[in-house]
Parts: sequence; structure tokens; C-alpha cells
Amino acid sequence: MVIISKIELEAPDSLKYTDVGYTTDEAVKNEINEGFDATLGKFLGENRTKLNLGEVSVSTFFETTDFVNEARTEVETVDGLGLSKINNVNEL
Amino acid sequence: MAAPTKGNTTNANPTPGANFYQFSHNQNTGNNRLLVVMFTMSNSRTYSGATYNGSAMTQLYQINRSGLSQRMAFFYMVDPPTGSNTLRVNFSGSQWNPISVHARSFTDSGGVGNSARTGGQTTPNTQNLTVSQDSLILATACSINAISTIQIPQGTNRTFTTHNTNRQVGTGAITADAGHSAGTISVRTTSTSGSVTNDRTEIFGLASSGGESDFFLIM
Repeated sequence: MVIISKIELEAPDSLKYTDVGYTTDEAVKNEINEGFDATLGKFLGENRTKLNLGEVSVSTFFETTDFVNEARTEVETVDGLGLSKINNVNEL
Repeated sequence: MAAPTKGNTTNANPTPGANFYQFSHNQNTGNNRLLVVMFTMSNSRTYSGATYNGSAMTQLYQINRSGLSQRMAFFYMVDPPTGSNTLRVNFSGSQWNPISVHARSFTDSGGVGNSARTGGQTTPNTQNLTVSQDSLILATACSINAISTIQIPQGTNRTFTTHNTNRQVGTGAITADAGHSAGTISVRTTSTSGSVTNDRTEIFGLASSGGESDFFLIM
């Protein structure tokens, strides 16, 4: 199963990951990750060097977006995490 | 006497976007617990420590693979707290490249044993590790090209997780449940082409931890 993480800006210039659910549905996982890749993933990929050098701030991306979800943490159990199973991305 | 019992795994491939990354990992209940975690990321930053449930983990190694522009590390904790707890790794600065994370729990383990690391060599990269009776071997590989196989021992493909850190990583490959006989084990990593690294670490079973032999008295 895969943990779904909510990624948002944590001041002043860093990302914050919060686990918001999990899924066992490959289609849900792929839809979430395609959304990430087309948005924040694209921004990070295009600006990686400048982000490392401090020449670009990730806050630029979050001027128009509150948060992005990603589903790339694979686990064998969600016991103790208090997470709900997500069957449809609209449940997020 | 007995091979370690494999427990829960957590695999992640995030871009931390901060000077740390943390996630939940569920340590199995049982005696003689062990938690290990392996990381790979751009060498633009170093690892400045890892904690589980707020307590420091022991760093087994941290190695700069300059040819791949990657830094690989291994941390572990003996008898970690059970249940779901936060595993956190800290960096020397904000890491804006994707990192590879593989955490695995064990029970019935005598801890971490021999470990050896071999930098990129033309595929296949075949290396030895000497282990005690019933030990397991945990292996990882990194390359510019896709990781094809990780064999423990050579000739036996083991499953592994693939991650992209701007390089290709194969992580979490581990010996079959029964463990190895004492001796020298050949571990092979392969990539689709070019060079590939070969890092391997022994996980002790219960009979191996203190270097003590079983003693039988026959009357």
C-alpha cells in the first residue's frame, strides 16, 4: 500500500509533508503522482540547481497553489498511523 | 541458530525540500529487534544524522560516490521502540533533489555485522562479503543506468525497490529467509549498461552477535 502525502509550503522556504491517507489502488496512486509530476515535480525539476543555490524560492510555486499531493511512500502496514483508505482522489 | 526474522519495510522517493525528511515507520514487536535504513541522494548535501522516535540512530557508513554525484548512507538502531514512530534524517542544508529511502525492521537479530562498499565498476559488479551462520545480506546499488539485478548470492535474483534520485537506485535487496551458511558470499549487482555500485551489509541472526559458538555437552 502507498501513503498519500500532502505537500505544502512551510515558511520561510521549505516543504512540509503531511500524511493524509493511503491507497491500494494503482490507478489512484498514478493519478496523484501524475498530478504531482505535472506541477510541483515539474517546478522542482526545472529549478533544482537554482533552488540548491538559493537563487529561486519554492514559495514562487505556492503563490498560486496551496498544496500538492504525492503517493510515493510504500509501506506494508498503516497500523498506528490513523490514516483513511482513499479510493478516489476526490476524497482527498 | 536462526536467521533474523524480516519485518516491515518503508520505501520512499521524495524530494525533501528542507534540511530534513521524516516519515513514519512501524517497527515489529518481538525480541532482539533491529531497525536499519539506507539513503541515497545527491552529494550536494551530507547526512548529519538520523533519529527514530527522537533517539539517535548509529551511522554505519556515509560514502560519497563522486563519479555518480551521489551520497549513500546506512543507519541502524538496536532494540528500537515498537509500533509506528517517526524516522527522521537530517541534512547539511536543504535538499532539493529526490532521495531514496529504504527502512527495514527485523526481530530475532543479533545486530549489524560485516559491511563492504564498492564504487562503480563496469556491470556486472561482483563482490564478496564474509558472513556468519544464518546471517542475511542487505544490498543496494546505484548507477546512471537502470539497475537490472541484485543477486544474493550470485546467481539468485532478489527483489528490490527502484528509485530515481537523478541517478538510478536499487535498494532493499535481501537474502532469502533461511539465511546464509557461514562463509564468503558473492553479491552481484548489474545495470543495463555502464558502471554500477555494490554495497552490502550483514544482518546477524541470533547465534552470530557475540562471536560465541553454540556449545553442546554430550553425556
